[in-house]
This record gives sequence, C-alpha cells and structure tokens, in this order.
Amino acid sequence: PSIPEGIPSDSKTNKDGVLVDEFGLPQIPAT
Amino acid sequence: MAHWFHRNPLKATAPVSFNFYGVAGSPAANKICNDLRTTRARLLEMFTDITCNPEIMKNATDAYFSLLQGFIVPLDGTTQENKMRFIQNFKWTDTLQGNTPSAQQDAVFELVSMAFNVAIWYTKFASRLAGKENISEAEAKDVHRSLKVAAGIFKNLKEAHIPRLITPAEKGRDLEPRVIDAYIIQCQAEAQEVTIARAIELKHNATLVAALAFETANFYQKADHTLNTLEPECSSKWRKYLQLKQHFYMAYVSSSLHNKDYYKLGYSRAEALCKDYRQTKGPGSTAKPSEQLFFLKLGGLIKMTLEKCQRENGFIYFHKVPAEAPQLDMKASYGLAEPVPFELPPLSEQCTPEVYATFDLTKGAKNDKAKPKEEEVKPVKEPDLKPQKDTGCIIS
Repeated sequence: PSIPEGIPSDSKTNKDGVLVDEFGLPQIPAT
Repeated sequence: MAHWFHRNPLKATAPVSFNFYGVAGSPAANKICNDLRTTRARLLEMFTDITCNPEIMKNATDAYFSLLQGFIVPLDGTTQENKMRFIQNFKWTDTLQGNTPSAQQDAVFELVSMAFNVAIWYTKFASRLAGKENISEAEAKDVHRSLKVAAGIFKNLKEAHIPRLITPAEKGRDLEPRVIDAYIIQCQAEAQEVTIARAIELKHNATLVAALAFETANFYQKADHTLNTLEPECSSKWRKYLQLKQHFYMAYVSSSLHNKDYYKLGYSRAEALCKDYRQTKGPGSTAKPSEQLFFLKLGGLIKMTLEKCQRENGFIYFHKVPAEAPQLDMKASYGLAEPVPFELPPLSEQCTPEVYATFDLTKGAKNDKAKPKEEEVKPVKEPDLKPQKDTGCIIS
C-alpha cells in the first residue's frame, strides 16, 4: 500500500479553497 | 460556555401492537410484526433515556425504520402501493398542540412522525450537552453535529416524505410547512451559535464573527416570521425565544462593530424579551436566559461601551438611540451550518417479496381481535433538562 499523504484530520476546504475546520471556520484564525 | 435553548415537548404516541391476526400468514410475516412492535417500543424508550447517545439512537431508529419500510416500499415487483401501508392506525400528538393527537391509518404518517421525534431528540440531546459546564471541543462538535443532523431530518421529511401523505397536515400541526420550516431554521441558527462561541474563543477576526452573528440573527428572525400566522397560544413562547435570540445577536453584532447606534436598542429589546419569555405560557421548557452569565456579561460590555460613546461623542452630537435598527449588509463566508443529509436505512433483509406475499389482507377482517383498539395517547415523561451553572464566556 502507498504511504498516506499528510495526517488524517477533519479539515476540508470551503468553496473559496480556504482550509476550514469542522465548524466551517478558517483553520488559521486571522485576527 | 453554556448555551440555552428553548425546547418544545416530544411528540407522544399510542402503543402499537402490530397484531394482524390472520393477515400475517407465515412465521416470517409474524416475526416482522413482532419485531416491528419491539423495535418501535425500544425506540420510544430511547427518547426519554438519559443515557442514550447519537449512536444508540441511530441504531434504534435504523432497526425500526428498516422494518417499517417493508410496509411502505413496493415489494411485489410492481410500482403499486404496498398493500400493508394503510392497515394500521397511528396516533401522534404534535409538539405545539398539547395532548390532542392526530391520527392517520398510514405507515408513511408513522414514518414521518417518528422521524420528526428523532429530530426533536437530537435537538434535546444537543441542548443537554450544551448546558454542561466547561464543554469540551469534542462535546461542542457533538452539539454542532446533532443540530445539523436534526435539521437534515426535518428537511428530508419536508421534501421527500410529507408530500406522500394522503391527508395533509392541519394548521399548527408539526408536519405543516410553517412549523417544520421554523424547526429547520432554528437548528441551523443554533448550530451557528456554537460556531460563534468557538470563533470568539479562537480569537477569529471580529468581522467574521460579526457577519456570522448577523446571519444567525437573520435566521432567528426568519424562523420567527415563519410562525407569525400560527395561533399565539401555541407559538408565542417559542416565538419569544426566537425573537430574544435575534435581538441578542444583533446586540452582539453592534457591540463587535462598535456601532453605538444599536447598542442599547438591541440589548434592551433582548432584555425585555428575556422577562417576557419567562412570563409567557405555552409549550416548551422554561429557561432563565436573563440570568445566564453570557447575557449578563454582554449587558455589562454594552453598558460600558455605550457610556464611553456617550462620554466621547454624546457631548458633541447628542445622538439619540434610534427606534429602529438601520439595515446592515453583511454576508457570512464562514461557519454557516448546512443540514446533514438524512437517509433511511436499507430495507430489512426479513422483508422479502416471498414473505410479503404471505400477508393476506382478505383474512384479517373476519377476526374481531383485528379491529383497531382505541389506544390512549399518554404524554411523554421527559427527563429534566437541568441546566448547569454557566461558567461564563469571555467576550474579547
């Protein structure tokens, strides 16, 4: 089997391609 | 932080024995009937079991619905209606109509009523969990997800199953569009409240939080407006809650945007609604929102900012608090809660065309025992939603 890429997590991207968490908030808070 | 949610009571139903003497003409057919009775009773038990969690609920729901579909989907290779669909009378009360049940002799009515209660259970589970002290991230996720699952169930029932009913729902009953729409929007708005709390905690951009709070306030307003043509006796308490949340989040938007024009307006309306909500009679749990620390803290913050504005600007301009809040134009790009799509479980392996063929409707009527017995609908004894002390939320 191939080596998995990256760490499995709940993260996904929104329609603008920004990485978001399970709540739909950006992964990196931009204060 | 702990959230507070208004909850309408669970729907109550009369027991169903699924005793079709004569009609169920084979041991396998009898087994389906027995299993329907036991899985239904178990699912009903789960609604009030304080130890039940989403996994147990899903298993109990799937066990019953996989069998119930054997009375709904066509099983004889034709597109005709399942012959068992209209054999049994089902009685269900509605969340806003006290103890007066609706009854329909239709398995689809049973499916939508039971699934509706499952959705209500998810909202109550979320409420119980959200009321805990020091809620963990995993628990916040569970609350968020449970509310989105509930929204998905309501949405699916509205779009796919309720239109199949022969008798449309009467005014103010759970299955009519206004009531079910209000539940869908409320669930989404409450899920977003969890996201707002998280965004504040993780110190996300103030504009992001304000935009989400603004959309959430709009959701609450929409849900409230959806109910405004219902009888006030059954809907006013629920509507007070929706209005309270709407004004609360508008006050929050104002405070985070440092717009002094709506500070006092939003908060004073929310404060008045808090008292009003407690005094309004109607179905639903009675929370004491104005005593929640989050609300008290917001009050302090608003008062402080208002005083600052008055000190710094009021001396020069003598601005008055406007009677109506000006229209804001904000769109949230993050944190909007979408319903989780709901799907029925696959049909039980017990429900084969061969077993279906052994159900014979012509044999049932001869037996007196098959006559529908008048079963009483007893209100559901729900476990207390004891709200715990709020440890507070810091608005930074």
